[in-house]
Amino acid sequence: MKRVALLLLLLFLLPFAKADSNRSWEHEFENGYITTQPLLIEETVFVRTSGFWMGEDRPQISAFEISSGDELWTYRSETTLQHDMSPLMFVDAGTGACGSWQNLLVVAWADGKVTALNPSSGVLVWEQQTEVNILGITGQLGIDEDRVVVPTRQGLSTFCFEDGEQLLRADFEEIGWRNGVLVSDSGYHVGTETGVLYSINRDGTISNTSIGEGKIRHVPIETQHGLLIHLQTSTGSTLYLNNSIIGNYGYSPAIPLQYGENIFLATSEEWISLSCNDMTCFEASKSQFHSNGEMSIRNLENDFLELWVPSNTPDGGWGVFNRTSLQRMHTTSFDTYTTAAPGFSTAAMALGNDMGVLQVTIFDNDETNEEESSFPLIEVVHYVLLLSSYLLCCLFFATGNKPRLWKTLTLFLLLFTVAAVPEISTQWSTLIEQDSEATWDDEWPEEWKDTQIVIIEIDGKENVIGGLSGQLNVYELTQVACESLGISTEYEDQYLGLYLLSFNGTEGDGWEFTLDGSRSNTGIVDTTIDSDSILRWRPA
Amino acid sequence: MLSGLGTHGPHVSSLGLLAINALLFASAIWLLMRPNNHQKGWLWSLFLLAIIASGARILLSGIPNIMPVTILVIMVGSKYGIQRSIAFVILVTVSSNAVLGDGWWTLFQVLAWSSVAGVSAMFSVHDDEGNLSMKRLSFAAVWSVPLFSTIVSLSILDGTMSSLEFALYMFNGIPFDALHMMGNIFFAVWGGAWFERILSLQAPSQQRIVGEDQHVSIV
Repeated sequence: MKRVALLLLLLFLLPFAKADSNRSWEHEFENGYITTQPLLIEETVFVRTSGFWMGEDRPQISAFEISSGDELWTYRSETTLQHDMSPLMFVDAGTGACGSWQNLLVVAWADGKVTALNPSSGVLVWEQQTEVNILGITGQLGIDEDRVVVPTRQGLSTFCFEDGEQLLRADFEEIGWRNGVLVSDSGYHVGTETGVLYSINRDGTISNTSIGEGKIRHVPIETQHGLLIHLQTSTGSTLYLNNSIIGNYGYSPAIPLQYGENIFLATSEEWISLSCNDMTCFEASKSQFHSNGEMSIRNLENDFLELWVPSNTPDGGWGVFNRTSLQRMHTTSFDTYTTAAPGFSTAAMALGNDMGVLQVTIFDNDETNEEESSFPLIEVVHYVLLLSSYLLCCLFFATGNKPRLWKTLTLFLLLFTVAAVPEISTQWSTLIEQDSEATWDDEWPEEWKDTQIVIIEIDGKENVIGGLSGQLNVYELTQVACESLGISTEYEDQYLGLYLLSFNGTEGDGWEFTLDGSRSNTGIVDTTIDSDSILRWRPA
Repeated sequence: MLSGLGTHGPHVSSLGLLAINALLFASAIWLLMRPNNHQKGWLWSLFLLAIIASGARILLSGIPNIMPVTILVIMVGSKYGIQRSIAFVILVTVSSNAVLGDGWWTLFQVLAWSSVAGVSAMFSVHDDEGNLSMKRLSFAAVWSVPLFSTIVSLSILDGTMSSLEFALYMFNGIPFDALHMMGNIFFAVWGGAWFERILSLQAPSQQRIVGEDQHVSIV
């Protein structure tokens, strides 16, 4: 009877172990990552993928039924390039001066195209081509009544929702990157890669002003004190309000988010909450956090809000903030680098990350208090059982009751193993990597000891060179090694930094490096090396 | 989810799965129908244990590798022989995978548990008098894991994986094998005697009384 009771207890615990008050489903895109916020509109979630796709693969827009996860349709661009980073835009049906239009999903592409799709079927309604200067459109689109406002690579265009007819065109001297457009009463405002802010009136007249030495990679924020710009600079980032500096922050700023009188910012070093009053905007609070992409807001009951901030680190996850500080980290089983903001509706949440995994969570109807649902019931029960079984072990050992000691010991060991295995398995894989890659090879010359060594695996053959010194980062060391080995290299300047495309023209599925047996959290320029580092390049 | 992530080998179409399951089910029926010995009263015990194993596997799916299936396979293999234990394996695997997720791996799970059953049929966990030996069962709880794990892992091979990559894959699974082992030992110690009673349900009452421990009252 006792055995039955114990088994039943174990079985009853199990649903809790998996339990979450919500249910969810996942979809993994085989190629490409998700770097823009999924959109949840009524019963459908829309998501787009971006680089790094290879070969015949291409970025795509997909629609899934929220409740079931069934794929409704997919629209694939055969012509686009890497870095499709312009967020999706859903437009409700309407009528305006330039015509009438149905519900539309407007998508801007890295090859300069703007497409309007039927959200129900994915069928193309209209398409327009804008200019391409290496890349096309990467910034956030704007809506101005009956038209979409498009920050193109080197200018701005507006197109009528009905048929895509171009209504306005403005050309800039500089190029832009992730330079979303602000639509205000006075017109349109968009930044460039040289720190110039363009303002375009609706009649097409253009004015511009140089904000500073740096890059404007977000939608300018409109405040009662003027436009707020978080300028990315070579030494970090600088915050400008109406052309005046109000703060200096870390590297690679995220896209700022405005909510009433609050403006939220993030960089590789911190998350910042600004508050704007009648006098000015000021820093209300700051927390250590690493985020470089989008942020989004989830409105809860009683005017509470949650700000969801993706953590762009190897561990990933999403920081959930209130208006002033970090409340908790939301994690999943597939966390990794993330820049896409979560998408929310009242009934569901959609998360996407750099692994190309989309997870949609459908909230239970009775989920009203997040804190209540986040109470770690399973962990508490688990540790109570663990402690109890340990105490019983001690008791039976002390009383010399060997049969019961043996039984209780197996229960204790099982509970302990269940608790320990997730952490152990994480460390386990790292152990293999470090052991197999970071060790000194006895076949190498002795004079290479305590020098910088580079191993490049091309087509299964190891190209090794050592005895190098004085290089400060992975990029420098790779360059010096390749020059000595006669290996050609090809790089690309990408959003996340300099990226190695190929060795001897071989791109494969990309290249990855380990430094002293460990993967790096930073790019090849930012990863510093020691005087005796072992750098290994191999196909991804 | 797992099939979506491609961690269990190639994708099998719905028709392919139907064919695999039909074939497995037919094999189970054939193995159950085909008389090989004259031992009586095994059928209901086997069905009852199959329901327990499947139900527990589904309910315990939240904790990876913790389930009483392996221990039950060992005991059924030892008690009823390889033929009926393979039928037992098929019933448990197909029915629980219908809930947990079906695919290419079902074949390998059947193969892996059948191998465990085969070995336990040869190296019985029952002594010469037919009584359950807890020492042998605990030992079987350990050796069954690498055997099961190796065969199941073969499902990942799709022609593109090198032997080194497969070895690393196996190495990465060791912590979860340890979990499987601990789970097996737990179920052996806590449930072994209970499972044995079910296995002996249809045995003559005198034989059952003799075989049980001192906690069983003689009515």
